[in-house]
Amino acid sequence: MKQMEADVIVVAAGLSGLAASISAAENGAKVLTFEKSTTTGGAANMGMGPLGVGSRIQREHMVSLTPGEAFRKHMYFTHYRVDARMVRDYYFKSGETIDWLQEMGVEFAGVQRAFSAPEDTRPYSDGEFTWHVVQPEGGGIPGPRAATAMTKKMTERATDLGVEFLFETPVQKLIKEDGKVVGVIAKDKNGEEIEARAKAVIVATGGFGDNPVMIKEQTGYEFGKTIFNFAVPGMKGDGLKMCWEAGAGKEPCTMELMYQLPDNMNHFILDGAFRQPCLWVNRNGERFMPEDQIGNTTFTGNAITAQPGMVAFAIFDSKLLKKYKKNGPDIPSHVHPHDLYDHFDEQWERDLADGYEPCTQADTIEELAEKAGIDVDGLVAQVEEYNEMCDGGFDEIFEKDRRYMQPIAKAPFYCLRQNVGAYGSLGGVKINHKTQVMTQEAKVIPGLYCVGTDACNIFGDSYPFILSGNTMGFCLNSGRIAGENAAAEALGDDFDF
Amino acid sequence: MKIFIDDREIEAKEGQSVLDAALDAGIFIPHLCSHPDLEAKGGCRLCSIEVEGEDKAVPACETIVKDGMKVTVNGPKAEKVRRMSMELILASHPADCTGCPKYGKCELQSMYQYMGVSPERWRKKSRPVPNNDSNPLISHLFTRCIRCGRCIRACQDLRGVKVLDYINTPQGIRAGIPDGKSLAEAGCRFCGACIEVCPTGSIVDQVKIMKDNRSYADNIVPCRATCPARVDIPRFIRYIKNGDFDKATAVIRERVPFPETLGSVCTHPCETECKRGEVNEPLSICRLKRAAGVNDSGAWKARVRKDAPTGKKAAVIGAGPAGLTAAYYLAKKGHEVTVFEKNPKAGGQCRYGIPYYRLPDELLDKEIDAMLESGFTLKTDTEAPAPADLLASGFDTVLVAVGTHQGTKLPLEGGDLPGVYLNAEFLKRSRMGDPMPVGEKVMILGGGSVAYDCARTAIRLGAKEVHVACLESPEKMTASKDEIEEGAEEGVILHAAHSFRRITGTDKAEGVELQKIERFYFDENHRAVIDLVEGSNQIIPVDNVIFAVGQKPFGTDKMGLELTHGPYIAADENLATSMAGVYAAGDVVTGTKTVIDAIAAGRKAAEQMDLFMGGDGDISEELLDNEVPSPFIGHIDGFAALKRGEPKVADAKERAHSFSLVEQPFSCDQAKCEAERCLQCDLRLQLTRPKLWNEY
Repeated sequence: MKQMEADVIVVAAGLSGLAASISAAENGAKVLTFEKSTTTGGAANMGMGPLGVGSRIQREHMVSLTPGEAFRKHMYFTHYRVDARMVRDYYFKSGETIDWLQEMGVEFAGVQRAFSAPEDTRPYSDGEFTWHVVQPEGGGIPGPRAATAMTKKMTERATDLGVEFLFETPVQKLIKEDGKVVGVIAKDKNGEEIEARAKAVIVATGGFGDNPVMIKEQTGYEFGKTIFNFAVPGMKGDGLKMCWEAGAGKEPCTMELMYQLPDNMNHFILDGAFRQPCLWVNRNGERFMPEDQIGNTTFTGNAITAQPGMVAFAIFDSKLLKKYKKNGPDIPSHVHPHDLYDHFDEQWERDLADGYEPCTQADTIEELAEKAGIDVDGLVAQVEEYNEMCDGGFDEIFEKDRRYMQPIAKAPFYCLRQNVGAYGSLGGVKINHKTQVMTQEAKVIPGLYCVGTDACNIFGDSYPFILSGNTMGFCLNSGRIAGENAAAEALGDDFDF
Repeated sequence: MKIFIDDREIEAKEGQSVLDAALDAGIFIPHLCSHPDLEAKGGCRLCSIEVEGEDKAVPACETIVKDGMKVTVNGPKAEKVRRMSMELILASHPADCTGCPKYGKCELQSMYQYMGVSPERWRKKSRPVPNNDSNPLISHLFTRCIRCGRCIRACQDLRGVKVLDYINTPQGIRAGIPDGKSLAEAGCRFCGACIEVCPTGSIVDQVKIMKDNRSYADNIVPCRATCPARVDIPRFIRYIKNGDFDKATAVIRERVPFPETLGSVCTHPCETECKRGEVNEPLSICRLKRAAGVNDSGAWKARVRKDAPTGKKAAVIGAGPAGLTAAYYLAKKGHEVTVFEKNPKAGGQCRYGIPYYRLPDELLDKEIDAMLESGFTLKTDTEAPAPADLLASGFDTVLVAVGTHQGTKLPLEGGDLPGVYLNAEFLKRSRMGDPMPVGEKVMILGGGSVAYDCARTAIRLGAKEVHVACLESPEKMTASKDEIEEGAEEGVILHAAHSFRRITGTDKAEGVELQKIERFYFDENHRAVIDLVEGSNQIIPVDNVIFAVGQKPFGTDKMGLELTHGPYIAADENLATSMAGVYAAGDVVTGTKTVIDAIAAGRKAAEQMDLFMGGDGDISEELLDNEVPSPFIGHIDGFAALKRGEPKVADAKERAHSFSLVEQPFSCDQAKCEAERCLQCDLRLQLTRPKLWNEY
């Protein structure tokens, strides 16, 4: 068995692990970072940018939101059911973290919000301008995966600071002696074991989105049946398991909900095409939310979860499709191709021919309901009521934005089943505001830190989309907090935040 | 020669490409279509550079170095081409990486991380191709294909298999199999080179192949990873394919000292994992090992390890496979080793448990004699002193490897009647030429290999009607399929999924009452639960009953060592017992397992005992040169359909009346033919993994 030594060991080099590695190294620690894949950045390579509040960029853009206000908003959103001190430390650090990233060369295209509510619902659910979207290197419009440019800069910064990365070398377990965590056992690509010792270990493995067994055990959802989350390969819950095995306390785990299609990637055109404020019903054929809200993926995911069978159906008719093809979507998306309706017919025909289960087409509402598995009488009655309201120009039930009150009248009719989706898992390992891992009785386990989504217990039941960029924001800032504290613990400094 | 890259002077080799020269010098130039093991094609244009004196940007992979050449990597012209090429790749590659199995290990992902480009200024046009999981082992997800052609070059040029090629589809050109054939139809050899070189997630291992708890290398070559002794299976099979049986034996002997014995009786967990099993049937690995052993000329002996004497002494109690293996390796490490065996001959269960018709004495003698050449002393017919006494008498360390030689009985009515035998004693007496008398009708209770050994021995001893009854259903029985089949051919009547109620008779065993089992399972507390079928009782008249329901160690209570689960010796993960310097290995620790497990345990014991005596614990040896196999395997029509070879088996009627060998080893031609079926999964690990930007 190979032996290694460092001041601080970081388990996984995703966003939180990178932030932790850099911070620990900046504070004088010798850092070893284990990563089971060949690249850094983990799930953050898919993202576009982190949250920050009070950054230089925001001040330049006249965004006046303060960390204190963000803290209050977050706490109201979560009904004070989460660790207020952790939330406070996070937001108060988050603006400076953006500056810190800029100093290492990360460029931001600006500050955005991920979601803009229709005007009449803005007081309840609008997005704040907190999302610092990363500027792709060499220009270009930021799209999905734009955050890779940040990952690159952070990786370079870490390497400059002497952080040693061990790729394709997953950590198997934590070494605990006399109640303290003192290192890790890892295994390289060829199966050789490594025993690495350090004074502090930071676990940052990104949750269990790719582990159906844990999803079922921890959240009750069944992957591929009741939930179709992003299963970013490698997110197996390694960190949670190793922390719990070392005596960490448990916090309730949640799935970071939204909604999407099964095998989403191969039906991406449909995914985008039906994400519109047309008619949305549940299995009984009944509407269940004002469709002008379906751009809010968190709320819509929650709403679908509450429906019978955890499914919903988006329906439009030929006239509406013609309109989308001509004018583009009612609700544009920054994720889907802008010309999706150009490819609609091709994908739709193919999916129908292949028997792709979520999609159904029919010439009558009855037939549509029958084929899609919606209660026939329920849907017929609902369409009748809905069309009447469209004629009247007013949604008497949910007061949906009247621009979207377009009847479902002209055959053929198109229907797409929508499932509960999720980005990944959230939370599980009990930590304090210094990100030190605690036992169930809230006693600190010396030498052990946990950060990022493995320890993101501050969202309560839903992703706080009102403060966009929150997942990456928490990863970065919890990682930094851990790096600073772990370095202090390892080097024996009296260091307190 | 010298060239200059961004004003840095670097050393380059004649005929080298600028890309290779730069990468060798630790200067990263982005690239995707070129691969260290494949010929460059210059298709992706990511490696564009500017060369002084040339107008346009040129691909570094196709530009050969010239002395004094001045190269700029990030000049405006090169950057423009590079960026546009990357943007075009990304514009047609699915944006949603999260469902991709290659996530985190994807070269394209690493490349866009490095270049930070966004596809937004191009119209995105994904080219959806349905995922194809209909081929064995390999998943095709060609939606993700970026048309770099690496898989095609690997398949065509490097391997010479010529299955993958560019194909025209309504969605454009991409990699695929021409004429709509399946991989098997096209003659694929399932070597996996295409998977290994694919920079994206277009060609990947099927999800079920890659197990989380195994390292990458172990997942790629699961046979080797599964072997308890980690015999380099693909390597020895390749030598057999080439007809080089001496080298094949040497490869096996680098890990285990009993090739032919194992080739005759191993339970071959490797075959269960063999990837060829997904294509049609697994390689006959075990029988190939036997073929190697049979044709061994002993050439490996020339390079056998023999360290200088250490002056240390080790005692081994028990000359079964575990004890002999440990003694063999300890002797080679220069220690003075004495093996104590209380039976007249060495071999343990191989000698006294497994019947002659499966493992003849002569074979064992041959292999044990070869081991004795390592210089350890074997004392047969000798009861060993207790471990503490051995230590006191000058041995530095002691290994207890006495196995499980005592049969066990179930608490069953009539179990003590005359005519009721125990498996271990029955088999041993038969093997020693002093068989226990059998009547006309015999019933064996138990469903494992030992039960079948007893049943088939009883037939050979003259029983006219032999029954085997066990709790398990036929699929769950631990006896191998071959054993069950061969037993049936010889006349064994199987009562699977039956419970034994009692043995009838007053003065001697006269029958066994059986009752059908509806369901047999283990509850959450691992207790066996048996649901019986009401009224299905029947009494089968027999003269003898043989219990074959397990065996346990004998005499361990007098060794002064801590025991566990009754008579088993308690040993930690390093096989150390409760007494310092005393180790235990094999069945006496684990309960009755297999010969290969015992050998693996013997190796581990030797390592630990060597460490204890001040050695370095390294018992490895190299019995042949490390030859790098050719990556070119060529095309074989109908490769996927090649049937698993079957050895010659003696006619059931004849063999049932004698103890002569049931199964003949493969002939050399049969062995070569069978070896040809190997997928050579290990060749994949020879391919170079391109270094990513974050590794420069």
